[in-house]
Amino acid sequence: MITLAHIRITPSETWLNGKVVSNSNINGIYREFIGDYPKFFKMDSLCKLGFIAAELILKGQTPELKENASIILFNRNGSLITDRNYQMTIADDHFFPSPALFVYTLANIVTGEIAIRHKIYGESSFYVLPHQDDEMINDVVNKAYLTSNPSFILTGWVDYDDDDNYVADIKLVTK
Amino acid sequence: MENLILQLKNQIIEVLNLEDMTAEDIDAEAPLFGDGLGLDSIDALELIVLLEREYGIKLSNPAEGKQIFKSISSIAYFVSKNRKK
Repeated sequence: MITLAHIRITPSETWLNGKVVSNSNINGIYREFIGDYPKFFKMDSLCKLGFIAAELILKGQTPELKENASIILFNRNGSLITDRNYQMTIADDHFFPSPALFVYTLANIVTGEIAIRHKIYGESSFYVLPHQDDEMINDVVNKAYLTSNPSFILTGWVDYDDDDNYVADIKLVTK
Repeated sequence: MENLILQLKNQIIEVLNLEDMTAEDIDAEAPLFGDGLGLDSIDALELIVLLEREYGIKLSNPAEGKQIFKSISSIAYFVSKNRKK
């Protein structure tokens, strides 16, 4: 497997291909490098994290290559932060559930947000693991090539625990 | 009516997370869906919840929605006629 690009985003640093490119938080990175996708602000935290990682790592990839790419992401917390937020909106007897929150109570929505933005039509999947298990991740990614022939795969770990604890560790890989 | 329009603008900015936008940026007559603010179907559900939570209005006829949610002005007119709180 060949790594084409690598990004790592934490609350304090964003690394792209081995270089620190930002010290901003997620909204700050959006304003620094993106800024043209108002739907970003409607996303939940997990989707925002995956979205900005994809924006930065996919720069330079052609629409033709992106069209046939795959997305395979992993994390530990699923969509727990949004599940909690949504639960708070329905805790009261006279509750008013939030549809905009509810739609993000699934971790795999982040793969959809990335696919919509970049017109990626290949297969996508999201796995929840007990921890960042690189052996398992590599195994799943390798198996993707048994059933399809993506131009590249956007894959890695995208986990949002809370505003002080999140990480995106994502690669573009190809055979 | 002007106060209600301003209040609705601010409430919509808050519930729809329209960051970087102020009440002055929203034309009360502009379409909310498609062009204009470019809202989507989930935003429409949020607006329905907003009317119930803030003004005690339950939309009984979904077919009315298209006309009511045409613009901020049309929402304000509907709220002023039907509000329970």
